Amino acid sequence: MTENTALALEDLHKSFGATAIIRGVSLDIRAGSCHAIIGPNGAGKSTLFHLITGRLKLDRGRIRLAGHDITGLSPHRVFRHGLARSFQVTSLFPRLSVFENLRVAAMWQARCGHAYWRSVAGYPGLHGRVLDMLENLHLTPRRNVPAAALAYAEQRTLEIGLALIGGAHTILLDEPTAGMSRAETERAVALLRRLAGGRTLVLIEHDLSVVFDLADTISVLAEGQVIASGSPQTVRGDAAVRAAYLGTAAEDLA
Amino acid sequence: MADQAAPQTALLAGVPGRSRAWMIWLAATAALALVAPHLLASGFGISLLNRMAIAIVFALSFNMLLGQGGMLDFGHAVFFGLGGFATMHLLKLADAGIFLPVPLLPLAGALGGLVSAVPAGWVATRREGTSFAMVTLGIAELAVAFVVMLPQWFGGEEGVSGDRSAEPALFGFDFGAALQIYYVIAAWALLAAVLMWAITRTPLGRLTNAVRDNPLRVDFLGYDPARIRFLCFALAGLFAGVAGGMQALNDEIVTVSNIGSAASGAVLLMTYIGGVGTFWGPVLGAIVVTLLQMALGTLTDAWQLYSGLLFVFMVLWAPGGLSGIILSHAPLLRAGLGHRLLARYLAVVPAALLTLAGLIGLAEMAYRLQAVRSGGAPGRLFGFAVMPTDPVAWVAPTLLLLGGLLALRSLAPRARAAWQEAHTLLARGTPR
Amino acid sequence: MEGLLLVLLNGLVYGLLLFMLSSGLTLIVGMMGVLNFAHASFYMLGAYFAYTISVGLGFWPALIIAPLLVGGLGALVERYGLRAVHRHGKLAELLFTVGLAFVIGEIVPLIWGRPAVPYRVPAVLDFPAFALGGINYQAYRLFMMGVSVAIFAGLYAALARTRLGLVIRAALTHPEMVGMLGHNVPRVFTLVFGAGCALAGLAGVIGGNVFTTSPGMAEALGAIVFAVVIMGGLGSIPGALLASLAIGFIQTASVTLDTPLGVLLGRLGMAVDPHGALAEITIARAAPAVPYLLLVLVLVVHPRGLMGARAD
Ligand SMILES: Nc1ncnc2c1ncn2[C@@H]1O[C@H](COP(=O)(O)OP(=O)(O)OP(=O)(O)O)[C@@H](O)[C@H]1O
Ligand SMILES: [Mg+2]
Repeated sequence: MTENTALALEDLHKSFGATAIIRGVSLDIRAGSCHAIIGPNGAGKSTLFHLITGRLKLDRGRIRLAGHDITGLSPHRVFRHGLARSFQVTSLFPRLSVFENLRVAAMWQARCGHAYWRSVAGYPGLHGRVLDMLENLHLTPRRNVPAAALAYAEQRTLEIGLALIGGAHTILLDEPTAGMSRAETERAVALLRRLAGGRTLVLIEHDLSVVFDLADTISVLAEGQVIASGSPQTVRGDAAVRAAYLGTAAEDLA
Repeated sequence: MADQAAPQTALLAGVPGRSRAWMIWLAATAALALVAPHLLASGFGISLLNRMAIAIVFALSFNMLLGQGGMLDFGHAVFFGLGGFATMHLLKLADAGIFLPVPLLPLAGALGGLVSAVPAGWVATRREGTSFAMVTLGIAELAVAFVVMLPQWFGGEEGVSGDRSAEPALFGFDFGAALQIYYVIAAWALLAAVLMWAITRTPLGRLTNAVRDNPLRVDFLGYDPARIRFLCFALAGLFAGVAGGMQALNDEIVTVSNIGSAASGAVLLMTYIGGVGTFWGPVLGAIVVTLLQMALGTLTDAWQLYSGLLFVFMVLWAPGGLSGIILSHAPLLRAGLGHRLLARYLAVVPAALLTLAGLIGLAEMAYRLQAVRSGGAPGRLFGFAVMPTDPVAWVAPTLLLLGGLLALRSLAPRARAAWQEAHTLLARGTPR
Repeated sequence: MEGLLLVLLNGLVYGLLLFMLSSGLTLIVGMMGVLNFAHASFYMLGAYFAYTISVGLGFWPALIIAPLLVGGLGALVERYGLRAVHRHGKLAELLFTVGLAFVIGEIVPLIWGRPAVPYRVPAVLDFPAFALGGINYQAYRLFMMGVSVAIFAGLYAALARTRLGLVIRAALTHPEMVGMLGHNVPRVFTLVFGAGCALAGLAGVIGGNVFTTSPGMAEALGAIVFAVVIMGGLGSIPGALLASLAIGFIQTASVTLDTPLGVLLGRLGMAVDPHGALAEITIARAAPAVPYLLLVLVLVVHPRGLMGARAD
């Protein structure tokens, strides 16, 4: 591990019952990079994110975030060390407005704590930060709509926004563009490019055009193991990856 | 903008629009609270107002959990009752000659509520959803068992009583008179309501809503959902204790029944009927249910059954409560779509009345039958002499009920469709 | 020694009745995720139905008919009530059953009156099976134990080992998938709910004559049943058995202990004012609090209950 490693995974293992899902994953993710994780369905990509963020307990292994050992911490503690995430299955606050969704996500960073004696409107910077994010997400006209009433693509955009607004230095995005149309995907990619600025992005993505567009490193996960890792060019040429990606995806890779 | 149209009074200048609306509401409520007892200048009227004020605070504190935090507390009366006991013990100390100003005693209620809610919340808020509810049920049983076990502290069956006017008068007020205690209680109700409203606007208040909607996501945004639930629970206990303290001052007695399941059920009924989706719903529910209870409780033995049926009806067909019904119609009326609903709604009324008459008929017959069996008189119902022992007498209400239900079956969906249609029109922005 | 044996036996009987009562709820919770607040009300209905039937036809027909009636009623409740609130979420389901419990609690005294009804143990089983320490032990209690054990064995086998159990459990986690496989998921839920209620009804038939059959019986046992289900771990049949027996033994034992708490604490080396409020409580008076105390203790140590699988 070097000085500028944002996230270091050391020999992670996880089984559900008798089935081993993650079987010895080790990865170093460089600070400030955009690192894509690809792999077939059921490879364990989401499970890997759940392990990193404390949603699931590791069987074995160590996780370091910017030098801090975060192994075994609960999700909110992991967040406080500077790691945020989005979900593959949209996970918002359905009855809260878009504005309120984003504000809740920005509270920890604005040092709101658990205050119940002070109006949330009185925190310097919080309001403006939410307005900026609304603007960036192109959701300003929808700011007072409950999240449940948004269109699907808008919900996915808000999902990304919740992960980005909290000021984390490392952000894990689980299939941010899943289910989006071509045009919507392009907008999401532009958004990520704009907002990434100096932060570390770890991206699970099936859409290979997005991957090659954004990522500067790609790791391929198959059956719970990293079978290839490197620059887009190296991964593209890797024989093992081709084997794992038989079918349509293989042609995309070529 | 509407802001510019409103006259800028010096007092409200510079206050943002939303807060200003609230201040106007607050001023109006305070004014109403000031004059209300003079409009109703009877002992009964004032005691009704006191009960409403207490119920409002209790229901609002309950809704901090149910509506704001998605936590169904089956033992909320525990904090109400223990707050009441705390207040009552201080009142007795005051009776014994220690100087304690009576109007401030609900503070002891707040402390009692808070102190009891902390251990209870510590256990209960580790769970969420239905498990949380069941744990609070256990805690409530435990609390009742303890209170019964300790007659030295809680007075056993008789409870603890005191005399709020026994101590030396404070600035000439001895709080024995109904009107004097009314103002004390109204002031506390207003203060508690304002504080609870203010809490909804704080970070904790907003996080509580977030935890209600999606605790898992909150966990990934830096906050421990259990901790948020705990803080909310403790605060709700505090305000329930204030309500208990208000009741202790009003009734001058607190008993085990104040902490029991019936009291917890009553606050659930009020809050839910008023509607958990808005801040003011429980206020409405507390007022309506207190009125109904006063009106029906003296008129019929079946009040408990009716309130239970009303509750089931609301859960099934109006889960937003009264405030939900109002909220879903207000925009339609404002957009001038009311006339589209009126005919269909009016058509339902006779059917609903028929059903209601049948239901009430059957219930009252059954209660009268019990009365006759235990040697009482059957009395009259809707002006008719009833013979509950005669099977024929049961035919009429049964027919009414069945006929009403049949009519409702075909009419209610049409009213509902009209409502949906109006909402589609509203969404499309083409009124009229 | 014999005193201890008697306590053990009584605890076993009480614990097994609690299990019988909570097994139906455990089934419903485990399979459908619905905490049916009205469960003890169905227990009460079982007892009252059995009383009315046994007046006309005798105990044995009641043993069959009453649970079926209660089960049918439960199925109707699921079909026309619960299913309608299902889309509003778990809390709405719970609230619906709260209202239902309340309404049943008001209707029962309307039909059968406020005082307890004379529902008796059948004469065939009302003889001392054996004597212990000068106290005769009724044969009916042995019958009760037998039924409880049979229910446990039956449920355990049915859920863990049969195809039906598999379908039901799959229906809970993947309703669409099971639907596509050709199973009628809503009907499975109706059946499960009806079966759970029938079990409660059966407990009412069997328990109502040993304890009392009165309008207060649902409220008296309702909270304890939830304590059992939560303590055992939501949906776990063995957990419910364990929790029932624990509550049965400890509560029965504590009823017989009338040592004041002060003396007990004194023996443990804690100085308590011997005439203070706490010191004068006897263990026996604290007995009603036992199930809830146990519940809280278990939850503090083990937030998911003794054998909990469901996180919810
Ligand atoms: N809680 C669980 N219990 C048992 N098995 C699980 C659990 N969660 C995931 N799995 C299994 O682990 C495997 C990996 O799942 P995971 O969601 O990590 O895949 P993924 O790589 O994200 O796939 P996708 O591209 O479809 O999202 C799958 O086979 C899944 O069925
Ligand atoms: Mg995935």
